[in-house]
Amino acid sequence: MNNAIKVQNLTKYYGDFLAVDHINFEVRQGEVFGFLGPNGAGKTTTQRMLTTLLEPTEGSIVIHGHDLARDAYPVKRRMGLVPEESNVYTELTAWDNLMFTAKLYRVPRSERAAQARELLETFGLWEKRNVKAQDFSKGMRRRLSIAMAIIHQPALLFLDEPTPGLDAQSARAIRDLIRQLNAEGTTIFLTTHQIEEANQLCDRVAIINHGQIAAIDTPERLKQAFQRVQSVEVALEPDGQAHGEPLSALAGVTTAVKMGDKWRLYTQDPSALLPQVMDYARSHELRVVSLSTLGPSLEDVFLEITGQQVGTVRHEAERSKPRRRGMGGRR
Amino acid sequence: MKDGWLQRLRDELAQAWTVTVKDMKVYYLKPGMIMFGFMMPFFMFFSFSVKREMAAAQGTARLLALTTFFTAAAAGPFIIPTERRLGTYDRLMAAPMSLLTLLLGKTAVGALFAIGTSAFALLVGVVAFGASIAQPGLLIAGIFLSAFSFSALGLIFGSIPTHNPGDVQMPSTLLRWGLLFISGVFVPLAEMGAVARALAYLSPLTYAQDLMNHAVLGRGAMTAPLLNPWLDIGVLLVSGVLFLLPSIKMHQRSRKLGY
Repeated sequence: MNNAIKVQNLTKYYGDFLAVDHINFEVRQGEVFGFLGPNGAGKTTTQRMLTTLLEPTEGSIVIHGHDLARDAYPVKRRMGLVPEESNVYTELTAWDNLMFTAKLYRVPRSERAAQARELLETFGLWEKRNVKAQDFSKGMRRRLSIAMAIIHQPALLFLDEPTPGLDAQSARAIRDLIRQLNAEGTTIFLTTHQIEEANQLCDRVAIINHGQIAAIDTPERLKQAFQRVQSVEVALEPDGQAHGEPLSALAGVTTAVKMGDKWRLYTQDPSALLPQVMDYARSHELRVVSLSTLGPSLEDVFLEITGQQVGTVRHEAERSKPRRRGMGGRR
Repeated sequence: MKDGWLQRLRDELAQAWTVTVKDMKVYYLKPGMIMFGFMMPFFMFFSFSVKREMAAAQGTARLLALTTFFTAAAAGPFIIPTERRLGTYDRLMAAPMSLLTLLLGKTAVGALFAIGTSAFALLVGVVAFGASIAQPGLLIAGIFLSAFSFSALGLIFGSIPTHNPGDVQMPSTLLRWGLLFISGVFVPLAEMGAVARALAYLSPLTYAQDLMNHAVLGRGAMTAPLLNPWLDIGVLLVSGVLFLLPSIKMHQRSRKLGY
């Protein structure tokens, strides 16, 4: 399979600060490639270098066979960019925004109106075509921004955090659109910190942390590589939320995290933990409302790789154990 | 898509015009443009000209120099930092066109605004004050060249790597005011001392004012032009082109810094 993007030794310094540290990766033509990382990891810096908005300090970027440093013009013609902030012209109508972009990308005059109409209809904005974007909701601006990025039918589309802040319906519509574009042959470079979104959409993901690529593979292979991050999820009644401390003290539990009305107990050996949980419930006369074992999610992999800990709940006696990960729970 | 440099040239010119038209729609009616671009030159003209004895033609020539200068130079420092702040400038920088094309498009925005404002100023001079124009052809050339040169000058400030228009307005305003007082607009070149006049020759506004004097007053007027109009034209043309160079350099620096 041909590469849409080939990055070698890509490096970016801001003064003395090393934002991107000699990274290497390839994006294959026709795939949805997720670029994940915590805030400040170097995601947006990398994407800005790939889209010619930022000059690398070192390294090379080859897109569709063209070296970006020497021959960016043909790359730019076949590239679309949806930045994190919907950068539409709020003083212009939806129609004028699309016409402007179509002219900028030299879409033939005979095709412009038809393309714009099709996109506006696809994105549910046709009725609002003569309304200025300043009167649009965030979701509508986002959709318009994506429509502007694809009106010239790019072979490669960069999307930077396409769905945060959107309502569930708009976010789903955008994810469906990404799938559709990809099915039609567009290579997608998706920068996101929405792990589940990457899990649902991406053929492969790269995880960048502290400016370096920490892992790069398909979501499923990454999960397999982190089988040690398994868990048992249990909901107990009555007063199930009060049992976090004793549950986290069970043998083999590395971390206990409160997940709504449930407790998720991280362990390397769920089969050994299950009988202990049942015994605990019996001995305390608790009803087991639900009990399930879970493999590692992409989020678990991400947090494991990036070493992030977003709040953990642990038993006093367990504090000397190495902390793996956890999120959400508080007592 | 056709290949070849001719097609590319046509594409780039069309893209520059697309940028210009978009900016005209988006920014011409913005309060910042109206205040600093349209009202400021008239405000300054009346501030420095009221209760001073001045022929209608002389006042018109001065007003024209002021409008082309202030209006054209106001666009770049207002529009580019605003677009950087809103993220819309990324859209332009990522588009398949050269940096020069983008800058020419932006230069035309300020230049056309200045030409429109100057046309209004000319109307005021001719209709309200009864001024007559000695050389209309030269006047048109003067307005166009001055507008281009000063718009390119404003673009230098717009190209400063920042997301905040306020960071640019201060140095831009300082320079414009400084040039205003050394360029023979309020004190004719003939009345300046040797040092002041030498300083005046460094300012492109001097040549714009002299050209307006040629065009409006003609020879033998009270405040006669001092320089050869061809020199004025040449300086304005060359300075306009030269002013684009620092803008290009600063844009390249912005790409390194991440603006």
